[in-house]
Amino acid sequence: MTTAQELREKKQLYFDDVAVGHQFPPLVIGPLTPTHLFRWSAAIENWHRIHYDQSFAIYHEGLPNILGQGSWKQSILPRYLKDLCLPDGWPWKVTFQHRAMIVPGDTLTVWATVTKKYEEEGLGFLDLDVGIRHYAETCPGRATIVLPIRNGKAIPYPFVPPKNLVSQ
Amino acid sequence: MSQSATQSESALTAEVKAVIGATAEKIEASLPWGIEREGLRVFTNAIMDPDPRYWDDEFAKTTKFGHVITPPIYCTYLGRRTRPGAEDPVTRAFAENPNSDGIGGIRTSESRGGLPDVPTHLKRILNAGNEIEVRQYPKLGDRIFSQAKYADIKERVAKDGARMLIVTTETVYTNQNGEVLCILRASSIRR
Repeated sequence: MTTAQELREKKQLYFDDVAVGHQFPPLVIGPLTPTHLFRWSAAIENWHRIHYDQSFAIYHEGLPNILGQGSWKQSILPRYLKDLCLPDGWPWKVTFQHRAMIVPGDTLTVWATVTKKYEEEGLGFLDLDVGIRHYAETCPGRATIVLPIRNGKAIPYPFVPPKNLVSQ
Repeated sequence: MSQSATQSESALTAEVKAVIGATAEKIEASLPWGIEREGLRVFTNAIMDPDPRYWDDEFAKTTKFGHVITPPIYCTYLGRRTRPGAEDPVTRAFAENPNSDGIGGIRTSESRGGLPDVPTHLKRILNAGNEIEVRQYPKLGDRIFSQAKYADIKERVAKDGARMLIVTTETVYTNQNGEVLCILRASSIRR
């Protein structure tokens, strides 16, 4: 897990220093417990019983156990991308699907690999394959992040996507 | 209607197609006091993100943002919260159905800013994946507004032959100045 101090002192990764195929350092989370799942349900007021009521999940819904929330997974991916971009890059967008279930006991590895690198309006864009893996890919997807170009212009904030990329 | 008859008929009926493009009322998703520190703490703890940009004012002043920020996706969950003074939706749901799954009876199209129900006999809802586009981080005190629409509905046939619908909603989140914070495109499976 990443610490507050590491995030405070994070050094900028530049567009210039990343090539297609680059694998970012993974984020490992877990093993998950029922308490992690319940904490998320309470945080966002999601009262779906399959996430915290084991009897309901197994005997009523026919599931193997209570399930980790898709909403939690979809919050972890942007968090990971944010960390990769700090302090001055921008985690523009991420698309993903929910595949394999996650259950208590699972340890998850959040990962990203660069698949494409390009410049647009003076900004450095990286397309990524991303995912959250346990015994399978449970949340495969794609993302686009923006990293500063050395001696290049600052990434605008609020972020304004280049016109050529808006419809993608 | 027999199971085989159900499976042979398209689930993408004219009534279902008619709701594509339907747009909900724009609502204030945040509670009246806007984004506040304690809710942010609970949320970031639940995603195990210790980033000082979320809580350390002095450090946050030194960042490009100049103030404490929140995860962009945080604003997408604000509208789920039960507003103070409202009828307790949990009590109501279980009074109506003691076997409530804890979600179907609690969130209905009667909720603020809700889209009309998709008129289908397919009642089971599964999360099929999402796209999140981030433009700006919300900050403490921001009031968050959201507006949803049905962006698309497609039909798919499962491996077991059952017909299902893939429903995609697009929700745009803005702040009190009308600036776009993030856009969530969420797909669900109805089967």
